[in-house]
Amino acid sequence: MNPELLLQLDRVIHEKGRLAIMSMLAASPELSFTELRDALAMTDGNLTTHIRALQQEGYVAVAKSYQKNRPLTTCSLTPAGRKAFAEYIHLLEQIVRQNKK
Amino acid sequence: MNSNWAEENLQTIRTLMERSAVYRRALAPIMLLAGLVGLAAAVIGLLLHLDSGRGFCTFWLGTAVIVVAGAFLIARQQAIKDKEAFWSPPTRRVAQTMWPLLLAGAVLGGTPMVVGGGDAPPDCDSLTAIIWILFYGCALHAAGFFMPRGIKLFGLLFMASACVLFYAFFSGIFYVLFFTGWISESISGHWLMGFFFGVLHLAYGAYLYLTEKGKNAA
Repeated sequence: MNPELLLQLDRVIHEKGRLAIMSMLAASPELSFTELRDALAMTDGNLTTHIRALQQEGYVAVAKSYQKNRPLTTCSLTPAGRKAFAEYIHLLEQIVRQNKK
Repeated sequence: MNSNWAEENLQTIRTLMERSAVYRRALAPIMLLAGLVGLAAAVIGLLLHLDSGRGFCTFWLGTAVIVVAGAFLIARQQAIKDKEAFWSPPTRRVAQTMWPLLLAGAVLGGTPMVVGGGDAPPDCDSLTAIIWILFYGCALHAAGFFMPRGIKLFGLLFMASACVLFYAFFSGIFYVLFFTGWISESISGHWLMGFFFGVLHLAYGAYLYLTEKGKNAA
């Protein structure tokens, strides 16, 4: 296997929890904090930490609003996040192809 | 490091993306269409006195075909507008979940009426309507696992109502209502259909229209 491919993998996305968040957000225009937490069976603290890391990297946008007088936090992928995720998948596919050779 | 980790990661990503992709496309317009057509059909059914078993069934199954075709057209139109695939995985999952229950309901509710024809018992249209309400509720509830949470609750409302109506039907409450003149034996089926497939869909469609914004992607 070409080790350069491994080095090119985005370390921020490669972490298991953050990869799950990115995957969920990539398939939906936006997801609420609660939807993400329930779907991924994460604790509030764990999810907050991961989202903050992705937000700092510019991959995820967080919007706070109110729905029926209750605070609603929604997350979505930014264009940079979508691009980084696509590149990450492309690299994984390349690695899989190399393994099969 | 396991050489399959990349493949496993890709599989995990695919699973998560499929789970996340919830069908949200054009729900409000589809519900409003179903409600309007349902309500109009109930009024037409009452005005034209489509009371025979065969007439009642054919009329309402025809209405269902119109609504399904309209729903597909609306969803397709939105998919084209948003430059998305119409037969997306969420759309496919919802359709695959709903059709067996809808078919079972149509067959189970319609067969006695069609086979019985003019000889069907006078309140048979109510029973058919209740069966359709129950199976439609089951279909909505099942599809709700791939749709916004409200759909599941909407399906539960249909199921619970159908159970109450079944009890009323077989416990003789319906007969009491017939004899006391609260409902006419020839129009009760159309009233039930009009309320559940017309009014309730209109109300839910209006609620979605007012509360949802920009959540249309499938």
